[in-house]
Parts: sequence; C-alpha cells; structure tokens
Amino acid sequence: MKVAMIGWEYPPFKAGGLATHCYGLTRSLADKNAKVFFFMPKTKHKPSSDKKNLKIIEVGESEIFPYDRPDSKEIEGQFFEAVYKYNALVAAKINISVKNDGKFDVVHCHDWLTMKAGIAVKEETGTPLVLTIHSTEYDRSGWLYPNQWFIDIEKEGMEKADKIIAVSNFTKNVIVDKYGISPDKISVVHNAVHPIPEGQKQEIVLFLGRLTIQKGAEFFLQAANKVLDYEPNTRFVVAGDGDMLPRLIHQSIDMGISDRVIFTGRLTEDEVKHIYGISSVYVMPSVSEPFGITALEAISAGTPTIASKTAGFSEAFKNCLRVDFWDTDEMANKIISLLRYDPLHRTLSSEGRKEIDIFTWDRVADKTLDVYNGVM
Amino acid sequence: MTSICMYFEVHQPMRLNHFSVFNIGDHNDPKTSYFDEKLNREIFEKVARKCYLPTNNLLLELIRKHDGEFRVSFSLTGTFVEYCERYMPEVLDSFKELFKTGSVDMIEETYYHSLSALYDDMDEFEDQVKMHNQMIRRVFNYRPRVFRNTEAIFDNRIAKKVADMGYKGIITEGTDKILNRRSPNYLYRPVNADIKVLLRNYTLSDDVGFRFSAKQWPGYPLTADKYAQWMSHCEGDLVNLFMDYETFGEHHWEDTGIFTFLEHLPSEVFKQNYLDFVTVSEAVERYVPVGEIDAPWAISWADEDRDVSTWLGNDMQHSCFNELKEIGRKLRGDGHKDLLHTWRLLQTSDHLYYCSTKGMEDGAVHAYFSHYDDPYEGFINFMNILQDFKQKIN
Repeated sequence: MKVAMIGWEYPPFKAGGLATHCYGLTRSLADKNAKVFFFMPKTKHKPSSDKKNLKIIEVGESEIFPYDRPDSKEIEGQFFEAVYKYNALVAAKINISVKNDGKFDVVHCHDWLTMKAGIAVKEETGTPLVLTIHSTEYDRSGWLYPNQWFIDIEKEGMEKADKIIAVSNFTKNVIVDKYGISPDKISVVHNAVHPIPEGQKQEIVLFLGRLTIQKGAEFFLQAANKVLDYEPNTRFVVAGDGDMLPRLIHQSIDMGISDRVIFTGRLTEDEVKHIYGISSVYVMPSVSEPFGITALEAISAGTPTIASKTAGFSEAFKNCLRVDFWDTDEMANKIISLLRYDPLHRTLSSEGRKEIDIFTWDRVADKTLDVYNGVM
Repeated sequence: MTSICMYFEVHQPMRLNHFSVFNIGDHNDPKTSYFDEKLNREIFEKVARKCYLPTNNLLLELIRKHDGEFRVSFSLTGTFVEYCERYMPEVLDSFKELFKTGSVDMIEETYYHSLSALYDDMDEFEDQVKMHNQMIRRVFNYRPRVFRNTEAIFDNRIAKKVADMGYKGIITEGTDKILNRRSPNYLYRPVNADIKVLLRNYTLSDDVGFRFSAKQWPGYPLTADKYAQWMSHCEGDLVNLFMDYETFGEHHWEDTGIFTFLEHLPSEVFKQNYLDFVTVSEAVERYVPVGEIDAPWAISWADEDRDVSTWLGNDMQHSCFNELKEIGRKLRGDGHKDLLHTWRLLQTSDHLYYCSTKGMEDGAVHAYFSHYDDPYEGFINFMNILQDFKQKIN
C-alpha cells in the first residue's frame, strides 16, 4: 500500500486537531506497513520522521494556515492565490514522484486546503481520492456567515472524492445535508488521542482552543461569572489565540472578573500538556464541534470535561458531562458540582481515563486502511 | 408435583426535578420542589395504560377461566400505591378486584423500596416495613406472610431481622453465590434464622423478563407451550418466576406477543402433568427446606453481578448513600413528619441506581430505566437536592 497524503501542518507545529490527526495516523499507518508520503508546506519548524515507511516531503512555502479566513489582515487579497499556488505546487511534486517512482494506490487529503491538489492528482493519474473532513466551513463560521468560496471548494472535493472519511456522525450529517453527498460514500472514523500525564490538580477551570466564534469562549466567560458568585476562589484559564481575544478580554473586564481569568495566549506543546494536567475541569463550549480532540486530551490527563452536547467525540464517549453551549446556567451548575463534589470528580476522572484507552491511532489506522482498500 | 410460583414486582419511584446548585438554599421559591410531578404523572399514566390495567384485566380473566387454579403474587410498593391513589384510583381498584378472587397473594417489602436494610442499625428498615404492612392492611385488609426486600437484596442479617419480625418466608435470587451448584427449585433455610427462603429461578425468569423479545436468542420466539415444557422438565418442588410487572406491555410491548404468551401460559401449564400454580404463602406452607444457605455478603437480583454494586458500586453512590444515612441520624425522632416523608422518598433505591456507571450490557439496561442522560447528571441532581435538604433540617 502506497499512500500520498497531503497535509498542512504536522508537529512540532500545530494550529489544531488536523496536525494531531495527521501525526497519529501517518505513524500508525507506517507501523502497519503502509508506505506513506506526507506532503506539506515548508516551515521553519522542520518536522521529521523516524520511521522507515514514512517520508515527510516539504513543498514550497505557504503563508496561510488551515484556520485562516480571507479577511485576515496579514494576507488580505493574496489569500485565494496563495491557496491555489500551494495546491498547484503539491500536485506538480506528486506527479513528478509518480513519474520517477510509480503510481500511488491512493491519494488522501484533509479538509479544504489541499483538496484542489488531490483533485488534480486524481485527474492526472487516475489515483483514487480519499478525503477526510475534520471540519466544514459551517463549523468554522459557527453557522453564522459561512463563506461560499470555501463551501464551493469543499463541495467540489467531496463530489470528486471516491470516499469520504468524516470524524463523526455529526459531520457526516452535515456533509449529507449541506453538501448533498450520498451517505453511502461516507465512513465515520472517530479520532484518537495520545494520552497526557495527570499533574497536581489545582482549582483551575480550563478553556483551550482557538479564540474564534466556533469555539464559544464567550460562553465560558459567562459561566465563569456565575461560578464566581458561589465559588469565589476558582481560577479560570483561557488558553489559545484568535481573532476574538481582545473582545474576550473586554468581556472579562466588563463582568468584573478579570482578576480571576488568565489569558495565556498561544501555548507550546509542553505548556499545553502541563495545563491539561493541573486543571480540575475542562470546558469545551463549542458552537460547532465536528470531533473535539482536545476533550479527549483533557480526559486522558484525568481532567473531567464538560462539552457541548453536539460535539462529535461525545457520540462515542460516555464519561463526560454535556451541556448546550448557550446554557451557561447549566454549565456553571456542572462546573460548581465538579469543584464541590469530590466523588463526582474522582469517578469522572477514573472512568474517563479507562474509556480513553479505546481511542487509539492504531484503531484509526485500521479503519482508514479499510477505506483505502475499498477504493483500490 | 412441581409448583410454579409467579411473583410480580410493582414499583414506581418519585423521580426528581432538575435541581441545580443555584437552587440550594432557595427555600422561598415554591418551584424548587424535589419531585417532578409532571414527569412522574406522565410515566405512571403511560405505564398504567400499557401494562397495569391490561395485564390486571388479563390475569382476572385467566383466574376466572381456570377456576382459581391459576395463582399469582404481587409486591406493591408504597410509592406505587400513592401514585394510584393520587392519579388513577382505578388501577388500585383492579388490584383489589384481583385480590378478592382468593388466587392472589400480597408480599411485604419496605414502603419506599429503599436500601434501609443496609443501614448500620435496622430501625429505619423496621419502620418502613411496618408502614408497608399498615398500607397493605388498609387497602387489602390482609397481613402478608412472605417478605421480599428491595431488589431481592438479602444477607444473613436481613434474614434474621425479617424472621424476628414474624414472617414465614423471604424471597431472594437463586444465585450460585449462595447455592454452590444446588438447585434453586427448592426452599432453603438461612444458617442463622428460622424462615423459609424462596429462590428466583433466574434462567426461566429472565427468559421472559429479559429475553422474550430478543430475536438473536436461540429460544426466540418464546411460546407458552414451549415454556410450559421447559418447566415440566425442571426437577424440584418449586419453580420461582419472579419479575418486574412492567415486563408485560412496557419492557416488552404488546406487539412482541407478550400478552398472547401470558394468556396461553396457564392452559399450557395445566396440559403438563405434575405442574400447578401456587402463591408465595402456599409455597412456604406446602414445602420444606432441603438445605441451608449462607449469605454473609448481600446478594440481589440485579445485573450480572447479583450483588449491591448496582446501587453502591462507585464513589458517587457511596457519598449519596452516606448523606442519606447522615440526614437520617439527625431527622429520626425529630418528629418532623413532612420532612421524614421527603427523606424517605429520597431513599428509594432508584435514585442511586441512576448514578451507576456500570458498563457493557448492564449499562444499556440502566440507561433504559433512567430519565437522566448519564449517571453524572443523576448524581449532580440528587446530590444538590440532598445538600438542600440538609440545610432544611439544620
């Protein structure tokens, strides 16, 4: 099995679940004797592979990231062009590789950014195309003002793909309902997690994610405000960066809780692990969450998690608490309960960690191989 | 002659309202009642229509058709009878009608379907049994002779207490933990008490209670004649078929054929030689114990484990149970009648059952019986109410 996988980010650099997924998946595929060629933009971080079956090939340079919006200031008008440019470079690189070393059995893309390249390779060489959807434009826009340009790319990719992998049934339904794709073409493969060690727990309630409309940090702050009326010694941490950061800081000042909320900005990989480990509660109030690997990461560190009811991971996961993202009374009720009732905290922590054991990249690789075998 | 002894458990808990930490201590708001009147009424009326009324009617017909030779026993909890009296008195009337036939026996249990038998001292348990006794006397003018504890929870201490209270028989699970490969189809005697123990034949009981509509089960479809033949092959004095009454029409809906099965069961049983029906009181009068059983640790009829881990299997359940006991220590003897009743409604074992985190097959059964999304919701709600209640009595 020879796979051309087209990605956008790979540890040590990561902006979201896409990097974590590509890292876990490519390594486990390599362990299962698939030959994986992972194409990605050249960065200063220099990702590398210690596995014989896994080659990381850097292609040109790119100034954009998977979660960028065309209105981001730094790139403005060049956004669309940059996407097309990178995709063309990748397609050319893969086609050279095909000429020199023979065809791939499958070409596998992740999300909208690299779909164009996948389609080009498929059309040029007849290689079957597999597409994993980690999030759609509807998710990233919080279902408020989705951008048609992204939707069109996504729709074209989904239509031309031979098979689609969705990270949850939630996402599968979006692909069927909003993009008009036949459900028979879509397989659901839930993500996995590399467990994180538990630290010395403190009275910290954690939000960790991009500070965008999708992730719902403002609901976290509203709940924090309610919690502090009853549990005034609690500390709240908002970890991450994004276009909503200034607004969120103002919100905490307006509510008069800025002394209890810490905005950390973007954290390094080690800092992320540390904060998961020492937090008592993790809250994921996403407006739209196709999967939510961060919840599994927090749970693996023994941190009980309160997640949006619709979050994709919770379809397949029992030992967490669920709320509607807008129901900040109930969110606060559950945060306070976790802080007050040790038996609840202990049980969720231990049962959650037990359940995490099922979510391995080995399983994700097996299911992905099933999909590959189905299109060859 | 082998006798078939059928007993049905009839219980409904008083389910709790959504009660958040913000409601704790807010005693002026009448909306912060502990019990969800609307949900409770809806569920009760639904189950009454699907199960209690049609099954009672069918049993009445069958008893008359077979001249009283078809005999069954019931255990009605106090909370169930309160539901009947509050919402649908006709349900209780139909139980009275059945009882009047003389072919129906009534069993004693704790009024509140509680775990009070597991408290450090047994005063509360005794009070709740006496309350149940008075309720049965009031409604049916009858004194039960056979006792069954909540979910058939049983150990030597409980056996001794129940024997001391004058009961002739006690019901529990025919689990191998106490039988050690002996047959459940006989009466036994506890090592430490003078009382006869009736043991549930869990294989045959669960064939109806759990497996009746399971299409992948080799016994499917279960017909009355097949089942009567299985029972005719049983050795022993007594086949005890104990199950939730909601088996008929609620756990298995009408379209599974469960009522047709029940309708034909007596006549198919009478076709077999050497089979008849007895009530629980008749069983303990007619037969003698063949051996001793020793239960130093509590067993029950619940889940695969057949112990009390269903209600006391995790930290959350332990802490609620301890809170309940703690409240009791303060409240008992205080004379606060309304608070006492509320405390006792909170002791109903179902509230702890909803907090169970058991996985796999049992977990699916638990989810079916729970109105919470998960055990953690159940715990938060129950614990918030217990915290509020503690403030009320202080």
